Amino acid sequence: MMDPLSWLDILGRLLVQLLPVWLALLVLFALSIGFKRRLGLYGKLFDSAVGMIGFALVMFWVFAALFANMIITHDPLAQFSGMRNATPGTPLRDPAGGYEVFLLGGDALARDVFSRMIIGAREVLRIAPFAAMISFMIGISLGLPAGYIGGRLDTGLTFVANLVLAFPVILLFFLLVAPEIQNTAIPRVMAGILFLMPVLFFTVLLNARFFTQPLKRNLYVGAVLVIGLWAYSGLAFNADPFGIWGMSPNLLNVFVAVVFVNAPTVFRIVRGITMDIRTRDYVSAAQTRGEGPWYIMLWEILPNARGPLIVDFCLRIGYTTILLGTLGFFGLGVAPESPDWGSTINQGRRLLTVYPHAALAPALALMSLVLGLNLLADGLREESLKD
Amino acid sequence: MLFFLARRVGVMLVTALCLTFVVFYLTNIPAKLETLAKTQAGSRISDAEVASWLDRNGYNQPMLVRYGEWLGVARGWTRQLDDGSMTGRCYLLTGTTIPGAAPERCGLVQGHWGNSTRFRAPVAEVIGARLGATGMLMLWVLIVMVPMALIVGVLAGMREGSRTDRTLSTFAIASTATPEYVSGVVFIALLASSTVGLSPLLVSWGWIEGPVLFQGNARSALEGITFWNFALPVMTVALYGMGYVARITRASMTEVMTQQYIRTARLKGVSFPSIVLRHALRNALIAPFTVIMLQIPWLLNGVVIVEVLFSYPGFGWTLFEAAANNDIELLLAASVVAVLVVLVTQLISDIGYVWLNPRIRVT
Amino acid sequence: MTHSKRKATELHRAAKLYARECREGRLSRREFMTRATALGVTAPAAYGLLGLAAPQARAQTPQMGGSLRMQMDIKAQRDPRTWDWSELSNVCRGWLEYLVSYERDGSIQPVLLESWEANEDATEFTLNIRPGVKWNNGDDLTAEHIAHNFERWCDASVEGNSMAGRMSALSEDGKLREGAVEIVDDLTIRLHLSSPDIAIIVNTADYPAAVVHPSFTGDDPVANPIGTGPYRPVSHNTGIGAVIERNPDHTWWNEGNGAWLDRIEFIDLGTDPAAWMAAAEGGEIDMTYQTTGDFVDLFEMIGMPQSEAITSATIAVRFNQTQAPYDNVNVRRALQMAVNNEIVLELGYNDRGTLAENHHVCPIHPEYAEIPGPVFDPAQARSMIEAEGLAGHEFELISIDDDWQAATCDSVAAQIRAAGINIRRTILPGATFWNDWLNYPFSATEWNMRPLGVQVLNLAYRSGEAWNETGFANAEFDTLLAEANGIADADERREIMAQLQQILLDEGVLIQPYWRSLYRNARPNILNAEMHPTFEVRYQHYGLA
Repeated sequence: MMDPLSWLDILGRLLVQLLPVWLALLVLFALSIGFKRRLGLYGKLFDSAVGMIGFALVMFWVFAALFANMIITHDPLAQFSGMRNATPGTPLRDPAGGYEVFLLGGDALARDVFSRMIIGAREVLRIAPFAAMISFMIGISLGLPAGYIGGRLDTGLTFVANLVLAFPVILLFFLLVAPEIQNTAIPRVMAGILFLMPVLFFTVLLNARFFTQPLKRNLYVGAVLVIGLWAYSGLAFNADPFGIWGMSPNLLNVFVAVVFVNAPTVFRIVRGITMDIRTRDYVSAAQTRGEGPWYIMLWEILPNARGPLIVDFCLRIGYTTILLGTLGFFGLGVAPESPDWGSTINQGRRLLTVYPHAALAPALALMSLVLGLNLLADGLREESLKD
Repeated sequence: MLFFLARRVGVMLVTALCLTFVVFYLTNIPAKLETLAKTQAGSRISDAEVASWLDRNGYNQPMLVRYGEWLGVARGWTRQLDDGSMTGRCYLLTGTTIPGAAPERCGLVQGHWGNSTRFRAPVAEVIGARLGATGMLMLWVLIVMVPMALIVGVLAGMREGSRTDRTLSTFAIASTATPEYVSGVVFIALLASSTVGLSPLLVSWGWIEGPVLFQGNARSALEGITFWNFALPVMTVALYGMGYVARITRASMTEVMTQQYIRTARLKGVSFPSIVLRHALRNALIAPFTVIMLQIPWLLNGVVIVEVLFSYPGFGWTLFEAAANNDIELLLAASVVAVLVVLVTQLISDIGYVWLNPRIRVT
Repeated sequence: MTHSKRKATELHRAAKLYARECREGRLSRREFMTRATALGVTAPAAYGLLGLAAPQARAQTPQMGGSLRMQMDIKAQRDPRTWDWSELSNVCRGWLEYLVSYERDGSIQPVLLESWEANEDATEFTLNIRPGVKWNNGDDLTAEHIAHNFERWCDASVEGNSMAGRMSALSEDGKLREGAVEIVDDLTIRLHLSSPDIAIIVNTADYPAAVVHPSFTGDDPVANPIGTGPYRPVSHNTGIGAVIERNPDHTWWNEGNGAWLDRIEFIDLGTDPAAWMAAAEGGEIDMTYQTTGDFVDLFEMIGMPQSEAITSATIAVRFNQTQAPYDNVNVRRALQMAVNNEIVLELGYNDRGTLAENHHVCPIHPEYAEIPGPVFDPAQARSMIEAEGLAGHEFELISIDDDWQAATCDSVAAQIRAAGINIRRTILPGATFWNDWLNYPFSATEWNMRPLGVQVLNLAYRSGEAWNETGFANAEFDTLLAEANGIADADERREIMAQLQQILLDEGVLIQPYWRSLYRNARPNILNAEMHPTFEVRYQHYGLA
């Protein structure tokens, strides 16, 4: 049996273990900086130090999540006798051919903190950006017509959005993410409505652009409909005939709740920007050209609103990550044993005064990711303002 | 202006009505009622006992009728007991059992908020006491958060791109990236533990008498708020909210600093501190003001976390307890309060915006 | 404190039988005390039967006065007979007393009774009520009051009245059987049981059996605190706390033998032990109600020593046999085989208990039979699951969100997973879990201690029982169990128990990893406040050194 590792050894081994991430970051940055003049807004990011740091932090976790299987040292759910609350660098009693130490120690159930943190990145990055994206599509699909057409439609939609916004988020979560609700039709119905939006969005988006070229239109719209409805059936109703798309009822419930509270905010932002842009000359020009309203909204207004939207998108992913952690704090939602950061922080915090590593590792991970997203958003904002 | 206010109040009422119905619906699905029966009559009671409990306590009527009862537009349920006395919604609320002594309807319209099943007390009493406690917490949070945020934002924004700006901005961003459930726990570990952090050091130096510097539990603040039992919860909420307000202030300040009149003043040779204090500040604070008002409902999230973490029985803690025990009438009242807070702060923010910014008129 | 009119030579025949077993080491002393005192033998006489002197009274008498702050959940009060949490009773113990009490050494001690006797076949019990006991409203305690309480306990029409089940030998059609309780004179009542039941007196020590005044009709014993004890409530706030003070207007029957403290404050700090810890560090509480897991040591570290109670309380990670795929005995046995109970005890419960053997009969039960324990063989488990065609099946293990229960289940699941079997965990909040606890296909339930092995088997594994959560229905088991219930001698019963335990093992009824030890931490100057095996907080005996 070997001796416990020193902090220097641990650091060295961590760097080695994360090698795939370093390589990927290196390649990404080399390529991006090399070709930054040809990469538009993304390329300009590399002119801002803040933006670059943020981007690096975010991509660190993205790559960690991608290469998680190569990085982790142990099964994140496996428990090892004798490793309860083990301090960082403790060797296993009986490695049995596996990795011989717990690099960042063991948690209260004798699981490897390091592996859980890395797999946790995968859990977090699987939900947060996806949920933010769906929220954006819903917000955009409703915000554009509300801002562009106005009138009754606007009044109605705004009222509904304010209604949801008037709800304290936490109360909504307590009510929606309860096991009793999970067994009713409510999450399925809500998912049915919310997940239909992206499909409609892409259908209308492509139809508006290509309706003058029926052949292309049929091809694109058809492809969107086939793939979209296939995913839709699986995600919202768990009825995918091939079993590729699917979501556990628990996850679906959390997902629906997160989208539900985020979409109205996006709606308000999009609506505000649209009302501003709709008075611009190029919109009037399109109108006189005789373009349809959906074409104007989706192909004239939306591209010009992308700056603030991208910034908000980054912030919203960070906010969603924190929100998911809040759910973990109250023991709602996400599956037990799940290595997602919110739940691990919550489990580890109780013993923080004696065994800080179990809670600090995921806490630092969460903070660095959110910090990265915030810095990235700042960088993007600065650069997009320079236009 | 009057019309504007009336319209807002009208919208507020409709919003509250819609939201309470949603809450009512979600808390009255059959599985939730079963949970309620089991928390009230015994966790291991049989299905037959659940059914009989629900029946005896007036929970077996259609949901709309019961929502009407709560509002006070439908007649409250009544039931004659074996000994001739009466029970029912209104009998229980008015505390009488004599047939005919209780009013027919007793809901919101008549001023009855109902009874809390979790706390066995009138909802109005529970909510009133807890709101007071949260009011104190929020007051101190605002006292700490607002000046700190404004100072950080103004200092960062008056010289954009300077080292001060970079440092303070990073600090502000880092604070928004640190959720309450992380910062609260870290504060407790660092400042309120007798085994790690600052306290053992201070004890060994003989600087403090008790085993810990701050108290990691705010229950004693109910009896009397002291710096030592209230500082950690206040700091935890304030820190997370501060970053956002500071960033808005900074953005607003940088914008103002590039305005023509500021440049003119500088060219005239007015000193820099005097420009900031006399000319820039008032205009730069319009945006943060509205944001602070809108921030208040957002702080509620943090308040729930902090009150649960520090066992401080305020409004957020009550919300948590009510939701965990499916306390229907308490949840309804809590959502009414929450909606009012959201809408009133929006209203104040709008009015304040108009008042601070003479270029805008309410139409 | 003698409480029997008989002399030791006239002691109950069964009690002598028990004493022989105990001397021969076949019955634990604690178990002997429970059973002998249940038959009306006094504790000193029971010790005498063993040839021992009764343990001396407490070494240190607490000082008069002082106050105590204790962490404990404060739940909304209701009718005592419907109490479902010990915490509800603990608040009221200062004024609501019991007929008898269950002690840490396993004996039954008289409280409001002075003594009791059972007839030869335990179908008739004579209860002698302690003379001179007064209610705090000035009334004398009489036989009629006690009879009234028996009537209340037998009323099954009250939802959640768990006493009705304990009093089944006295009831008929959901209420007290005519003539079951006979009032002999002002201070004597006689119980006529429909079938032998030596547990009937033990049952009146259970926490819902608090004795209330006949005028008690409401459902809140705090709002209406008429009782016989020396304390009275000052305030009671659900979820926040309760304050109790010594009642200056009442003379307690046991004056001078307790009621040391002036004031007891219960503080509800929620379910998170980290919050209790923070409160203890800030000097806001003096003792905990129950400490689990790592916190036992943590509290000790900050100067609050632990006290321990060894019990037969446990967690049953059981299968419901009426639901697929657990209707297949091979599946159940395979899952059992994948789990090493020792590791579950280590990782799930911090090694704070003793190993159990998947049949819910504890070595501290008198009739426990030593049979070969469960086999741990993950490879075999995997191949059995494959043989049943469930290699791709994802099992689901449900538990309540309670700390140690969730950890135990996580650890069971981790082992099943390590054997190569798919499993996922579901955690339900406390309020929701009980909605369906009998019907979950695979879930964990906490079971408190019962003095006899057959008691638990009767309650949970007999066909069609109300609390039979395993759906276990086995005619052979039922017959054998009925036979065991009729045998007073633990030796004879043990032979049948061996068969019963073997059936439970063969049928793979449950994974039962360990027997719990219970802990509580208190500041060192607090006396008589050791952890009680059934969670009782008898603050009328607590005091400061």
